[in-house]
Amino acid sequence: MRGKVRRKTIFTFLGPAIFALAAVGIGPLLYAVWTSLHYFNLTKLRQVEFIGMENYGTVLTDSVFWQAMGRTFTLLLIALPLQIMIGLGIALLLHKPGNTFLRTLTRLTLVLPMATTYAVVGLLGQVMFNIKYGVVNQFLGFVGIEAVNWIGDPDNAFIAVIFWDVWQWTPFVALVMLAGFTTIPVEIEEAARLETKSWWTVLRHVQLPFLIPGLTAVLILRTADTLKLFDMVFTMTRGGPGSATEFISLMIQRVGFRGFDQGMASAQAVILLIITIVLSQIYIKVFYKEIK
Amino acid sequence: MNLRSCISTIAIAACAAVGFTASANAWSLEEAAKPYAGTVVDVVFLKRPGYEAAEAMIPEFEKKTGIKINIIKHPYENALGEQVRDFVAGGDLDIALIDLVWIGNFAENGWVEPVSKFTSNPALKDPDLDMDDFFPLVLNAFGGWNGTIYGLPFDNYSGLMFYNKCMLKDAGFDGPPATWAELKDKYGPALTKDGKYAFALQSKRNETQSADSFARMLWPFGGSFLDKNFKSNLLSKESQTGLQFRQDLMKYMPKGIVAYDHSETVNALAQGDVAMITEWSAFYSTLKDPKTSKIGDCLAIAPEPKGPAGRKPALGGFSLAVATQADDNEKAASWLFIQWITSKAKAKEYVERGGVSARKSVYKDADIVKKYDFVPALVESWQEGVPEFRPRFAEWPEITEIVQEWGSKIMLGEVSVKDGAKELGDRMEAVLKKAGYYDGKKPLAK
Repeated sequence: MRGKVRRKTIFTFLGPAIFALAAVGIGPLLYAVWTSLHYFNLTKLRQVEFIGMENYGTVLTDSVFWQAMGRTFTLLLIALPLQIMIGLGIALLLHKPGNTFLRTLTRLTLVLPMATTYAVVGLLGQVMFNIKYGVVNQFLGFVGIEAVNWIGDPDNAFIAVIFWDVWQWTPFVALVMLAGFTTIPVEIEEAARLETKSWWTVLRHVQLPFLIPGLTAVLILRTADTLKLFDMVFTMTRGGPGSATEFISLMIQRVGFRGFDQGMASAQAVILLIITIVLSQIYIKVFYKEIK
Repeated sequence: MNLRSCISTIAIAACAAVGFTASANAWSLEEAAKPYAGTVVDVVFLKRPGYEAAEAMIPEFEKKTGIKINIIKHPYENALGEQVRDFVAGGDLDIALIDLVWIGNFAENGWVEPVSKFTSNPALKDPDLDMDDFFPLVLNAFGGWNGTIYGLPFDNYSGLMFYNKCMLKDAGFDGPPATWAELKDKYGPALTKDGKYAFALQSKRNETQSADSFARMLWPFGGSFLDKNFKSNLLSKESQTGLQFRQDLMKYMPKGIVAYDHSETVNALAQGDVAMITEWSAFYSTLKDPKTSKIGDCLAIAPEPKGPAGRKPALGGFSLAVATQADDNEKAASWLFIQWITSKAKAKEYVERGGVSARKSVYKDADIVKKYDFVPALVESWQEGVPEFRPRFAEWPEITEIVQEWGSKIMLGEVSVKDGAKELGDRMEAVLKKAGYYDGKKPLAK
C-alpha cells in the first residue's frame, strides 16, 4: 500500500539501532543509577547494600564535589567564548573570496588538532610545559621572559589546560562556523554589502542568523565535552597540583576507580548527567528561539 | 629403652634422614614443572628497573619449565585498578603483584593464596626456598597480613639518600647530612644557588605524595597517620612538626616540586640540578647508568637522614602471590615461577641485572658488596624500617586519595599545615568509621 510502511520493516530498520543504544547507553545508565543507590565498593563486594539516596546526599553536601564542578564551569566559561571568538574569526577569514590554495591548506591544517588523541595532547603538554626542558619556556626565554612554572603552579596549570583546550577545539568551531557561512545565499550577502561597508553589521544582521544552528551545536557539544574532559588533563596534570585542575570527570574517575567507591562515583555521574541535560535544554530553548 | 630398640630408633631416624635428603636432592625445577609444561601464567609487571631485570631472566625459566610467563605491563598508577577489576571480574591474572599497601586489601578479599598452600607440597616446594633468608621486615611487610604470608618479596625498595658528592664537596661538605635538621639548616642554604637546589622531594599528587613526601616527613619526627585506636594522629605535636618541616624545606627544592614524580626527581639529580634526593633503592640502576644519568662517579648513596625519632626510612615494594582465581595447574606454575624468581639462587643475577633482591644472603656476597655501593645503606635501612610506614589495611586506596589531595594543598599553601591535617584526619576517620573500625565490626588491623 502506497504511503504506509509495514510494521516489520520499521522494526527491521530501527531495531538494530535501538538494540545498540540500549546495550551501550541505556543499560549502563540504568546500572549506574542502581549502583548509585547502593554502598558499592569494588574492593568490598561482600558489603554491598542498598542505602537509598545516601550517596546523593553525600555528593550534594561535599564541598570537594562542588569545587570540582566550579572549576569545570570556570574552564567552560573561559575556554568556550575564546574558542567561539577565535573560531569565528578564522571562519570569517576563510570565508573571504580569493587565495583558494591557501584556504584549502588552512582547512586541512585545522583538522590536525582535532585528530590528535586527547591523551597525546596531554602528554605533549607535560613535555612542552616542563619548567626546565619545555619548549614553551624556551620560547619565552628567547623574548626575555623568565621560565614559568606551568605544571607546578595551580594558576598556571589551569591556564595550560585552557590553552590546550582552546588549541584543540577552536578548529572544530571554525569548521562548523565555516559550514554555516556556506549556507548563506550569495545574493543576500552581496545585497547586504551594497547596503553597508560595515562587516559587523553584515555579520550581526545577515550572517549570524545562519550561523545559529551550528553555534547551538557547538555550544551543546563543547559543553558536554568540557564536562567530561578527562584524558588530556589526566595525562598532563593528573588533576594537580593540589586540586587545581581536578575537573568533575577526573574527580569521578578518582572516586570510582582509584578509591573504588563505585556507588559514590555513580551518584556523581548521574548528577553530572542531569546538569548536562538541563544545560542542553537551556541552549536549545534560548538559541533556537532566535531563528524561529 | 634397651639396646635393641635404641639401635632400631637410630636406624629408622637415619633412614628417614637419608630418604629425606635423597628426596630433597632429587627436587629440581625441571622435574617439578613437568606436569605444568605449556601452562600460561599471566602476571602484571610495572615499567621499572626491577621488572626489566626479571623480564630478562624469564626466558631461562620458560626454557627450563615449558611454562609461559605472559607479562602485562602497566604504569604503577594503573596497576592496582587493573588488578582489582581483573579479580572482581574473575579474569585471567594468575599472579598478583602486591604493593605493600595493597596486601590487606588483597588478602581480606581472598584474592591471593597463602604461601603455605604450596610450601606444604613437597612436589612444589624448593628445598632451598629458605624463607628465613628474606629480610624479616620486608617479608612480613610486603607479603604478610595478619600473621600469614601470602607473597614473596620481589621488587624491593627502601628509601635511600642519593647525592652528588662533587656538589657537596664544592660546598664544603665531606659527606651527606646525618639528620633532616642538618639538611635543612646547613646543606639547604649552602647548596641552593645559581639555579641549583639542595634537595628535591618528589611530591606529585599520586601515591608519590602519600608515600614519598607526606609519610616520609611523619615518621622520623615521631608522627604517624593513626594512633593506636585508629584515630587520626596528624594533629599530634610530632606529626605537625614533621609536616611543618616539609614546608620549611621547600625553599631549598626546585619550583613546582608538587608536580615532581620519581622520574623528574631522579632526573634532577642525574642532570646535576639538585644535590640530594631521597628515593627508592630501585632507582640505583637508572642513576648509575651513563645512558640515563650524567652524575657518573659523583653519585654516592647513604641511608636517609635521621629525625628526632630516628631514621625511619621510607619503605615500599612489591610481593608476588598466587591468585585464587587461577586453576590448579596455573597456581602450581605460578608458584614455581614466584619461587624461582625470588630464590637465593637467582638473587645475584637479579641484582646484577638492575633489581633489588630481598635476600639477605646476596648482600653478603663479596662481589655484590664491592660492585653496588647502595648495599650497606639498603641493609641498614631494612633494619630500621617501619612496616606501617603507610597503613596496609584494605581502606588504604581510599585514604591515600585523601592524603594526596590534602597533602598537596598543604604544600601549595592553599591550607595551613594544621587546618590541612585536621581536614585530612577527619576525612580519614570517616572512611575508617564507614569500614566499621570504630564500632567493633572490624578489628583494628595490626
